[in-house]
Amino acid sequence: MKRIAIWLFVWTAAISALHAWLNVNWAEILNDRLPLERRKLNVAYIPVT
Amino acid sequence: MTDYISRHAVDGNLFIPKMFQGFPEIKEALISNRVQAGFLVAPMAIALRSQGVPIKVVYLGHRYGSAVVVQKDGPVHSVADLRGRTIAIPSRFSDERLIVLRALRQNGIAPSEVKMVEMSPADVAGALAAKAIDAFAMGEPFPSQAEMVGFGRVLFQAREYWPDYMSCVLVVRQDVIDERPEAVQTLVDGIARSGLWLEKGKPYREYAAEFVGRYYFNQPPALLKWALTRPLDRVMYAPLSPRKRDFDLVRDLMIESGILDQKLEFEDYVDVRFAEHSQIQTAWKFEPGADVE
Repeated sequence: MKRIAIWLFVWTAAISALHAWLNVNWAEILNDRLPLERRKLNVAYIPVT
Repeated sequence: MTDYISRHAVDGNLFIPKMFQGFPEIKEALISNRVQAGFLVAPMAIALRSQGVPIKVVYLGHRYGSAVVVQKDGPVHSVADLRGRTIAIPSRFSDERLIVLRALRQNGIAPSEVKMVEMSPADVAGALAAKAIDAFAMGEPFPSQAEMVGFGRVLFQAREYWPDYMSCVLVVRQDVIDERPEAVQTLVDGIARSGLWLEKGKPYREYAAEFVGRYYFNQPPALLKWALTRPLDRVMYAPLSPRKRDFDLVRDLMIESGILDQKLEFEDYVDVRFAEHSQIQTAWKFEPGADVE
């Protein structure tokens, strides 16, 4: 039972780490937390000329 | 454009371009401060300001570049033939809706005689090809897409009914204008320089179509080449300074068509300082085909 719990924990941690590495834009998240005077500005557009 | 400006601004990386698929999503992102600036259709910017959203128009994105497109072999050959038909528009708060209303009025057709439906720009080509709609009024490259693929025909270009037609405008949140005016100026200057660069001729537009299609719009470069060069003045990138008479016309048409209930003054929703300063700018010094440093 203990071994299953450990494997489950390792598996969940590995998947979570992979997800955080591959799918999360950390630069953007950190930028959004900066004070306005230091933040890069997000500029929205749609693909029309 | 914003990415190029960011990389070439003396202040370093200032901007992150974020692509959306519709104007309502940009509106929500501006309100919630997920984006600090964005390109919106002019009536939507005015409507947001009238609702108290703290934004200002600081520049235009381009002029012209919108058209009403009908089925290529369909029965609509004149504006009068639109009576009783279904037309897709990007939003109730769009210049495209106003241009359709203007064309209808000049041809003696009441707005109630036409059914207008809101549709995301990316969906109109498929809807027209599938004959789910009879026409659409949309900005480029969607009219070009319909022409190029062969299922659509331009009924009229916006400029035929609205000589100084403008479509997308650049809006910026008021807190950014107040706290980071130098960043707003960099953005406006960069757009002005890009516009002047694009107006240098066909090779410049073709080059822009190539990299914008590939890296930013996720659209075929050939489609953007069509939109930007057939003819060269199909979409114009100068002059882009906001003019009072253009915005007064948009505001009055909005009031007339029932989507604005107060006569906002130009100064209430436009800040011209950045555009005035950008008039000293010149085109980017970059030749098509040269490597970007």
